[in-house]
Amino acid sequence: MPQTSTRTSSIEQTLDRIIGMSIDTYYNPYKTFQWPDELPEAQWWMSPGLMTVAGTPYAEELSETQLMALSKWESIHFYSLNVHGIRELLLEVVKRIHTPGFEKESEFFHHFVGEENEHMWFFATFCLKYGGKIYVDKKAKWAIDSVEPDIESLLVFSRILIFEEIVDYFNLRIGRDESLHPIIRQVNSIHHQDESRHITFGREIVKQLFDQLTPKHPQEKLQEVDQYLSRYLLASVQSLYSPAVYRDAGVPDPYRFRTELLEHPGRREHNAKILKRTVDFFTHNGIISEQADLR
Amino acid sequence: MTEDPRLASVKDWLLSRKPELADLDLDFDLIENRVIDSLSFLEFVFFLEELTGRELQATAETVNAFRSLHSIQKEILDGSL
Repeated sequence: MPQTSTRTSSIEQTLDRIIGMSIDTYYNPYKTFQWPDELPEAQWWMSPGLMTVAGTPYAEELSETQLMALSKWESIHFYSLNVHGIRELLLEVVKRIHTPGFEKESEFFHHFVGEENEHMWFFATFCLKYGGKIYVDKKAKWAIDSVEPDIESLLVFSRILIFEEIVDYFNLRIGRDESLHPIIRQVNSIHHQDESRHITFGREIVKQLFDQLTPKHPQEKLQEVDQYLSRYLLASVQSLYSPAVYRDAGVPDPYRFRTELLEHPGRREHNAKILKRTVDFFTHNGIISEQADLR
Repeated sequence: MTEDPRLASVKDWLLSRKPELADLDLDFDLIENRVIDSLSFLEFVFFLEELTGRELQATAETVNAFRSLHSIQKEILDGSL
């Protein structure tokens, strides 16, 4: 079929290009970072415009000291989400490397697994060194939703892509923010460089897997995929709002605070901005419907 | 026996997300019947934390505590999960 063979050659070209880039730009992360012994508490740990209070009255009502404390714990939480997200994606990719159906991708998977392992190391190092902890992952850790293997692979690589694109929204902006500490900028910009390749691959494989399964499943099944991914997008962006973070920053009623933020129109606008590029990709390729309610 | 008002809140929370269900028996499997799925689980944990006033240990080993209203009462509302 013409569309599938075009996609096949497109993914092969992409794989050749990004494997070459992985080899040419390889760095030793264990020597790359000069970790300061400590970071000052009174500083912005992430760009104020990226915090979960941005666009709400709390951005004005809280003192600068409170906001800086919140920026510290939000950044530790953001890197913790990275640690947990990478663990999940490594498990899924390792499960598929050198198995039928992933012959072409397996060479790239070796680079992907190696790079993601290193990302997990530097995010965990940041959390433990400057926050003294990694926030606990409370997402469901057991298989609740069982689906056919080809749909499962589509959902796995879609989840990886969504996770990487949301993270990249933050990495890109934090890496460019000259008001932030150099180590904060460096961790984010290095991650952004590597993730650009992973996102390029992710988009190709998601398109390919979707093209392969559409002729095999009824419309009803594809609608379930659409609904699941739309809900996953929303759940992913909502996971940035953490009661444990608000508690650590001294917010008196962290659960009510979280609910208020999630319901605030300013936050809905920010959430839509964070997800825009990803939603455009999934709708453009017919994987989710344009009517998806992501507010 | 009078129902624990906290358990009534849990039931309301779950039913509000599954309007097709009229009621929930104490032993109805919430996971098997997809009243809770992987995408709603985190919000459910936060709801229960707010209700109990303490952080919950949600791990693969503690999944059974979330499986029914009965186990939620025993392990979470009256227990120390």
